[in-house]
Amino acid sequence: MRSAAFGAFRAERVKLSTLRSLWVTPLLALMLTAGVTTAVGAALGGRDRNITDDPSIGVFYGLNFGQAALACFGILLIGQEFNTRMIDVSLTAVPRRGRLYGAKLALGGLVGLVVGAAGTAGAFAGYAAIVPGAWDGPPLVRSAVAGVLYQALLVVFCLGVTTALGNLTAAMGLLVPTVFLLSPLLSGVPGIRRVVRFLPDRAGQYALRYVDDPQVGYGHWTGLLIMALWTALAAYGGLRAMRRSPTK
Amino acid sequence: MIEVQGLTKEYDGRRVVDELTFEVRPGVVTGFLGPNGAGKSTTMRLVLGLDRPTAGRALIDGRPYTELADPLRRVGALLDAQALHGGRTARGHLRWLAASNGLPERRVGEVLAQVGLADAAGRRIRSFSLGMRQRLGVAAALLGDPPVLMLDEPVNGLDPEGIRWIRTLLRDLAAEGRAVLVSSHLMTEMALTADHLVVIGRGRLLADAATSDFIDRHGRTRIRVRAVDPTKLAALLGGTGHDLDATEVDGGAWEVSGAEPERIAALAAADGVVLYEIAVQQDSLEEAFMRMTADSVEYRAEAAL
Repeated sequence: MRSAAFGAFRAERVKLSTLRSLWVTPLLALMLTAGVTTAVGAALGGRDRNITDDPSIGVFYGLNFGQAALACFGILLIGQEFNTRMIDVSLTAVPRRGRLYGAKLALGGLVGLVVGAAGTAGAFAGYAAIVPGAWDGPPLVRSAVAGVLYQALLVVFCLGVTTALGNLTAAMGLLVPTVFLLSPLLSGVPGIRRVVRFLPDRAGQYALRYVDDPQVGYGHWTGLLIMALWTALAAYGGLRAMRRSPTK
Repeated sequence: MIEVQGLTKEYDGRRVVDELTFEVRPGVVTGFLGPNGAGKSTTMRLVLGLDRPTAGRALIDGRPYTELADPLRRVGALLDAQALHGGRTARGHLRWLAASNGLPERRVGEVLAQVGLADAAGRRIRSFSLGMRQRLGVAAALLGDPPVLMLDEPVNGLDPEGIRWIRTLLRDLAAEGRAVLVSSHLMTEMALTADHLVVIGRGRLLADAATSDFIDRHGRTRIRVRAVDPTKLAALLGGTGHDLDATEVDGGAWEVSGAEPERIAALAAADGVVLYEIAVQQDSLEEAFMRMTADSVEYRAEAAL
């Protein structure tokens, strides 16, 4: 039923465009990812060009902020339906649960790709305009491609976890502190660091780096693959919860 | 047509819906009646595939709801008018629903006009009163022009004019040949709207009958009598001679159950009692419902009429 699947996707697209509190989040993510990088580059670029030996940290500085908005988008995309119980109305319109969920994943992934591409391009352009040398080096393409995929995977990951939990508040409470606060903080603690490097955001962000870190213990692309596995797991967990009963 | 066959739902071992079997036929308004907590909403959720039955099944024109292609074209449902995102406009809410089932955009404007929300189409739902949300819910149910409609407590929050509107709407929709199932705990409203009744209590089917048959069967018919000389009437009806079930109600008026008005008139004439009022009074649906549930305190299921 290709047409029915397309209808479910179109409905999700209209849902996004008709709810301001939903569509502002990816826009905000884009502005932060590109804008904060450019602003910080402008503030620091003129004085100290060698603040770090890895330019990618400067390029993706804004992503630290942008990804929070992007994660909120992934959470809200289905979480607000749980909270308002509108999921019941969605399920009467699209009773095949896998189809409804698949349409949401597709839209979330697509928005993640578009925002990821625009944000990554903006960050590179903004940084390179101020700091010379950002375009140098062979890891550039890998870092840029990973920057796009990282953002798409993040949206799908958050969407999956939220669906698995079946609750907006629980998803916010779990994802926002662990992914954006705990994970970067813990990666500085020597003992825990060995485990923390396998968390989705840590592993995924390693794919953005120009410079190898021998302490990580896996390659850059492997890092993105680890994040992709987390995302697949979250998406599957969401599907199972959706099939069981999303509304009780 | 909706067919419910042996439908059963248990939550944590407690039966909320207990082997329900009934049909909702096209061309009539079927009232789904029962006290709060009787299992009406759960039954509707089961029909729509929002919950999975423990046993039994519910079919729409012979197929489970979840297997319908473009279900909004087959069934229009209103469950909880509050289950909306307040940040969308009325038009925005209906637009995504239309997109999901490939319905033309013009239907959005048509149903908004039909429910009287054309002027509020561009307003955010969070500013809507409960009555306006109910109207929007009805608009959503009508969007796909479906032959089957299922509305859970649609008169909730409506003002008297709104209640009258929905009554007329439901009767018109049934007259067009659609199958209409409407639940309510408001008996008087149901008596005016529904041609047929499905009554449940504690998840079980208590009655499945035409509204008039239900009232005939479970309600009492009483004859109210007044006479010019109340003492003579009291002697006639209060005595044991005629084997009448009569009670004095107020100010010399009497009510007689289980007798024909012709017989009362004949008895009065024979005794020379001059009557100036003799009226047949029938129980309301509410009284009939109360009597039935009182008769079967344990909510024993009774054979369908």
